[in-house]
Amino acid sequence: MNKKMDKKDGQFDPETIRIDYDHLDVADIMDQIKKKTDAQRMDDFPVLVSEEDVLPDSSLNASEFEENGPGSSKAKKILLKLMRPFSPIIKLLVLPVHQELRETIQTLDRTNKRLDLLSDYLNGALDEVKTNLGQFNSETNKRVDLAFEDLTRAKEYAKLLHNLSHNIVVEMTKLKIEEENLKIRIRILEKDFEHLKSREKALESRMS
Amino acid sequence: MKLAFVVQRYGLDINGGAELHCRWVAEHLKKFCDIEVLTTRAFDYVTWKDHFPQGEESINGIRVKRFSVNRPRNPERFGKIQDLIVDHEHKEIDELRWIEEEGPLSSSLIHHIKEHESDYDYFIFFSYRYYHSYWGIQTVPHKSILVPTAEHDAVIHLKIFKELFRKPLAFVFNSVEERKMIQALSQNENVMGDVVGVGTVVPKEFKTEEFRKKHQIPGPYVIYVGRIDENKGCDELFDFFLRFKKESDTDVKLVLVGNTKLKIPSHLDIIYLGFTSEEEKFSALNGAEFLIMPSFFESLSMVTLEAWAMEKPVLANARCRVLKGQCLRSNAGLFYENFGEFSLAFHLLLFSERLRKILGANGLQYFNQNYTWDVIEKKYLSLLDRLQQRTA
Repeated sequence: MNKKMDKKDGQFDPETIRIDYDHLDVADIMDQIKKKTDAQRMDDFPVLVSEEDVLPDSSLNASEFEENGPGSSKAKKILLKLMRPFSPIIKLLVLPVHQELRETIQTLDRTNKRLDLLSDYLNGALDEVKTNLGQFNSETNKRVDLAFEDLTRAKEYAKLLHNLSHNIVVEMTKLKIEEENLKIRIRILEKDFEHLKSREKALESRMS
Repeated sequence: MKLAFVVQRYGLDINGGAELHCRWVAEHLKKFCDIEVLTTRAFDYVTWKDHFPQGEESINGIRVKRFSVNRPRNPERFGKIQDLIVDHEHKEIDELRWIEEEGPLSSSLIHHIKEHESDYDYFIFFSYRYYHSYWGIQTVPHKSILVPTAEHDAVIHLKIFKELFRKPLAFVFNSVEERKMIQALSQNENVMGDVVGVGTVVPKEFKTEEFRKKHQIPGPYVIYVGRIDENKGCDELFDFFLRFKKESDTDVKLVLVGNTKLKIPSHLDIIYLGFTSEEEKFSALNGAEFLIMPSFFESLSMVTLEAWAMEKPVLANARCRVLKGQCLRSNAGLFYENFGEFSLAFHLLLFSERLRKILGANGLQYFNQNYTWDVIEKKYLSLLDRLQQRTA
């Protein structure tokens, strides 16, 4: 088993947990773990709000303060000097609030991480939905296009059939008229023929 | 002595915690008492729809009487009323409506209890939060023993349960924490009750190598067994485990066994096996370095007991009072409340074989003292004896 643990910044060192293997006590191990994690949290916190942000640093001398900001004044120096003996009390008074702040910030940090996870999950789900919707959309479009093509074709067929029917009707009407004309001509020819016959008979009788 | 075990569902294929608990206890007590199980025809715990045939049958030598449900549960309607009673101001009548919706609503079962009260010496009700227990105990309070299987969830604070917990003749608790919680909620210290729990049997032989080959897990792994669910703390477990992997240089893997309701992160070191056979589950557990139990709500956690029975230590979620209490009492598991504690405890358990061995041995000892079937049977019989002496 690869058992090396990176000693990165801000990481716990499990080697410092003392375990009495002959009289193992889970409560004792957990107390040590708790203390270690609490201490670690305290160490991590100044990144966000350091004690220096809250309290005046007694190790700084007046000249350093002077260099630190143009706003430093003589009154400030005197005030800091006066406050120096009370610094432990101020720290003591301030620390519980400080602790609460730390815990609040940690809670907020945890919440943020959970929210990030949730947001990632939602984004993933949203992307999936988008992809699915896109696919569905393109498939539907294809099907609609195909159906539209079929419809246009059917419409053309209908038009053609309509024209064809119309032409057939016209042609049949023409043929009917033609037929009537021919019938009339036949009747005329028959009459002519009869007339010629009677004329033939008349001529024959006159000749005889 | 004739006992009626009253439970929401019953059958060989039903693996829910309380139902399995009921079946195992019934099967182990049948050599001492005449036992009958009164239950519904339901199989599905969401709708309670009738599934099994009505009437009597025998399961592993236990007589089982099944009763129809009046109507299946409507999850939508149930969700609405659950929201009302959990998050909003409400009246007692709403809570009674909730218990009706919670189900399984079987008036014929309650009617049977009422009609045949004299046929049984005691009625043992499993799971306080269902219709059968609420109305069953109201029907025969002087003959009721309640196995609450309670978790520290929102509904336990309902007013109707505060009164219910004062009614039964006796309690069979799963853990000290469960007893404390129920007593604190209902001030029912005068009601007799023992912390008993449930036993389990672990196979003597395991096919761990076969399991490793089948799933291609040659290296070390830790395991979670159970429903993969947000309520079980699994999302936090994934987060913590992946952070631990990122920050440490280890080749440990996380093996998950059970049905999932969560999206499991796609990661090479998280291996999801799904629902496995009991044999495979035990083989997997046997090969693991330790068991992780990240759940927020547990009334006992059978899998934790199984791990201890197999001399495996446990890393549990300290926000579950029962798990934390069990770890402290057994001296067989570490626990965590945040990532820092998780990381340190995980590291200690993973890299100290000696620690694992001692914790595992403590676990086995705790299991043998409290959760073998001999012990469980004796505790039940002792409670029943005391009840009989009191009523005599």
